[in-house]
Amino acid sequence: MPKRRDILAIVLIVLPWTLLITVWHQSAIAPLLAIRKDDGADRGRREAGQASDSKEYCSSDKDIVEVVRTEYVYTRPPPWSDGLPTIHIITPTYSRPVQKAELTRLANTFLHVANLHWILVEDSQRRTPLVTRMLKETGLNYTHLNVETPRNYKLRADTRDPRIPRGTMQRNLALRWLRETFNSNSSQAGIVYFADDDNTYSLELFEEMRSTRKVSVWPVAFVGGLRYESPKVNAAGKVYGWKTVFDPHRPFAIDMAGFAINLRLILFKPQAYFKLRGVKGGYQESSLLRELVTLNDLEPKASNCTKILVWHTRTEKPVLVNEGKKGFTDPNVEI
Amino acid sequence: MATRMKLKLKTVFVLYFMVSLMGLIYALMQLGQRCDCAEHDMPKDRTISRLRGELHRLQEQMRKAEPTKPPQKLAVKPAQPTIYVITPTYTRFVQKAELTRLAQTFLHVPQLHWILVEDSPHKTPLVSGFLASSGLAYTHLHTPTPRDRKLQEGDPSWLKPRGAEQRNEGLRWLREDRRGQPGADTQLGVVYFADDDNTYSLQLFEEMRGTQRVSVWPVGLVGGMRYERPVVEGGKVVRFHTGWRPSRPFPLDMAGFAVSLKLVIANQDACFDGDAPMGFLESSFLQGLVTMDELEPKAENCTKVLVWHTRTEKPKMKREEALQKQGLGSDTAVEV
Repeated sequence: MPKRRDILAIVLIVLPWTLLITVWHQSAIAPLLAIRKDDGADRGRREAGQASDSKEYCSSDKDIVEVVRTEYVYTRPPPWSDGLPTIHIITPTYSRPVQKAELTRLANTFLHVANLHWILVEDSQRRTPLVTRMLKETGLNYTHLNVETPRNYKLRADTRDPRIPRGTMQRNLALRWLRETFNSNSSQAGIVYFADDDNTYSLELFEEMRSTRKVSVWPVAFVGGLRYESPKVNAAGKVYGWKTVFDPHRPFAIDMAGFAINLRLILFKPQAYFKLRGVKGGYQESSLLRELVTLNDLEPKASNCTKILVWHTRTEKPVLVNEGKKGFTDPNVEI
Repeated sequence: MATRMKLKLKTVFVLYFMVSLMGLIYALMQLGQRCDCAEHDMPKDRTISRLRGELHRLQEQMRKAEPTKPPQKLAVKPAQPTIYVITPTYTRFVQKAELTRLAQTFLHVPQLHWILVEDSPHKTPLVSGFLASSGLAYTHLHTPTPRDRKLQEGDPSWLKPRGAEQRNEGLRWLREDRRGQPGADTQLGVVYFADDDNTYSLQLFEEMRGTQRVSVWPVGLVGGMRYERPVVEGGKVVRFHTGWRPSRPFPLDMAGFAVSLKLVIANQDACFDGDAPMGFLESSFLQGLVTMDELEPKAENCTKVLVWHTRTEKPKMKREEALQKQGLGSDTAVEV
């Protein structure tokens, strides 16, 4: 009899404590689950009546979350800050129907980034009025260059002498401009990034690359026929390989959008350029990087190359069938 | 001695049990109140954000007192109409990228409220997380497209109208939200339907802000042409310049018009007809709202292209698919 009583007593003592511990343990995980679940646990609408523009409710019958926030909003670049390294963005571009649209949304992205210098290089004989006007209107800090890729280079698809990958001459011109403009002794801190005009960049990416000492790298989405390609980073935070399917044994199996170079390094090695001819598909980036760094020197960014901050999007070529031979729309209206 | 000891133990035990039970109940009540704790900090953060934004705006105005700027930008209008942007979206590889660059454009537009409607039976974590960190004022909705109206794999994009249910859901929420807030000020606004793959210039939003009924403008790269536009004579729209079915009541693209909030609320039943034939989606909505001569032409009498109907390629995933068959697909925990 006393034995049963004792057991009962022990159970009744331990029970509340086990319940308490289980419930506390659950509560540590619950905030993470709440993001995924449909907030069934929280009941009741809450209204913070503070300012007329603030409303937030944890849940409602219709499971709608409305958030009203007033963050900064401006249509001009952020004021120049002397403490931040300048990001020099090199973008080759060429005339086609979607050009103005691509440059517009790219400019909308760049307008958020402090200390940004956009080097836009047109693949054309002369600087076009469309780009000239557009650049001026954005209010961005820019340099407008142009160099035309010779016709035979563009069209030749000879396997012995494959055509120059698009944008090479333009990027090289920009590198030359940087070397002519900036003295190696200059204290101007800068980072060089090659941004194609149809990719998508998150704002976080630019802050990640600002701390580049030599060459920094990160994953890029939608390249190499994969969801993303990424450098392989070991436990010591060093890059030791490339997580790609397409020729992972390239010296630098990375996309143009996946790395940034410190300006000092560009100025220090004035002979380093993208190789123009005799470059196999996918080796263009390597042709420049191997003259600048070794694998060991690479700095992995984006949380040790685990976050996607840039997407290699491509814009469809618009179908202009209804224009016909003579052109249905007024050619004076710029698109 | 023994009985006294027993009694003492019993009381101790009972006391102990009661205390534990109270503690447990208290803890459970604490958990139910999780929302409250966060709530207290938000209003302060909001006020700080708002003040910071106003400070920046005032600094900008002081620095740039250019006489050539249109009056709106110099004066601080007390009640600037809010632009409600309704965007249907659906899960696919490029979704996060599209929403990212769209948000980067919207962040430049003052008084903009983004109504993002997912084509999904429930809110996805990707979109929820994205919106929360976007810095925009938003409403996150969702409604699935009925199966028979949904495009199947391999269907050309023009086969079935897309986004009708989602846009209607956005309209429904907007109407309901306004109903709960009577007053002349809350009716001040403009509704714009922005797809997540188009490209918008910042000037477009300032053009549409003054919409009284329905305003229209050209759209680039649509209808198989460089651009489609309303033709304006004497300040009024007389016909539409389009290469495809110009006999439609409103041969416009979704991105080529904006409706005033007042009109949306006054016509509670106006919505998009998901069963409308190809190209008639916009007309199904606008027909009940306005006639052609009531349209307000913007963008310098519809001669400037401020929005482009760009489309993003579907990324090639052959290698990814091959890897997944071998069980070596890329880490799904990494959000793309």
